[in-house]
Amino acid sequence: MTWHSFLNFSTMEHRHLLAAYATVLIVQGGYFFWVLRGWMRSKNTRK
Amino acid sequence: MAIVSRSTILRPIVWLWFLASLVVLVIGFHEAIFVVPTDAAQGDAGRIFYYHVPSSMLSLLFPYINFLASLAYLYWRRREPLKALTADALALTAAEITVVYATICLLTGMIWGRATWGIWWTWDPRLTSMLLLWLLYVSYLMLRRFSSTGQSQTLAAVLSVFAAVDVPIVYMSIRWWRTQHPAPVFGGGPDSGIDPSMAPAFYWNVLAWAMWGIFILGFRFALERRRQLAEQEAALSAIEASLETPQ
Repeated sequence: MTWHSFLNFSTMEHRHLLAAYATVLIVQGGYFFWVLRGWMRSKNTRK
Repeated sequence: MAIVSRSTILRPIVWLWFLASLVVLVIGFHEAIFVVPTDAAQGDAGRIFYYHVPSSMLSLLFPYINFLASLAYLYWRRREPLKALTADALALTAAEITVVYATICLLTGMIWGRATWGIWWTWDPRLTSMLLLWLLYVSYLMLRRFSSTGQSQTLAAVLSVFAAVDVPIVYMSIRWWRTQHPAPVFGGGPDSGIDPSMAPAFYWNVLAWAMWGIFILGFRFALERRRQLAEQEAALSAIEASLETPQ
C-alpha cells in the first residue's frame, strides 16, 4: 500500500480505513491536548 | 551535597518516554499501512485490525488499574487519607483512559463492521458487553463530576468494583457464545493466532499504544495530583485565615 492508496477516497474500504485511523488519532490527540490544556492552566494558577 | 528534586529526575524520563512512544507509534503505523500485505478476504479494510485490536486489548487492562486503585482508596480512606487521595487520583485517571480506549474500540469496530459485514452495529454479546463497559466507566466519570454529596469518591470506588465485573464478561463473550464478532485471535484454541506476516505490525502497534497509554496515564495522574494539592493548599489557607480573624 502507498500514501496514494491510503488517501484514496474512491472506494468504501479505503474510506473506512482512513476513517478508522483518523478516529484513533482524533480521540487520542483530543484527550492528550485536553490534559495538556489542564496542565498549562494549573501551572498558571499556581504562579 | 545538593538535593535533587523528584521532578528534576522525572522530567527527562517523561520526555524520553513521550518521544519513544511517538517513534514506536510511527513504526507501528508504517508497518500496518505500508509493510503488511493486503488481506486476501477483506482488502485494505483489514488494516483496521492493527489499531482496533491493540486499543481493545488495552481497554480491558486499564479497568484493572482503576479497580485496584479503588480498592486501595476504600482501604485507606479512613486509615491513611493522604495515600487514599493518591489512589483516588490513579483510579480517576485509569477510568478516563479506559473510556478513551473503549471509545476507540467501539468506533473503529463500527467502521470496520460496516466495511466487512455491511452493518454498523449488531446486538451480539461482544459488542453489547463492550458498550456496557463503556457506559459503566462513563457513568463512573459522570458520578464523580456531578455528585454533590461529598461522598462521590467513595461511591465511585464502589461503582468501579462492580464495573470491573464486566471486564471478564467482555473477554469471555466470544468464547462463551458464537457471535457475529470474529472468534478470538489469541488464546482461542488450536485455530487461533495470526499469520506470521501480520505479527510485526501487530506487536509494534500493541507496544506503541501501550507505551502511549502509560505516558498519558502518568501525565493525567500528575495533573490530578497537582489539582488535589492546590485544593489542599486552598483549604489550609482558608483555615489559617479564619484563625487570624479577630473574634
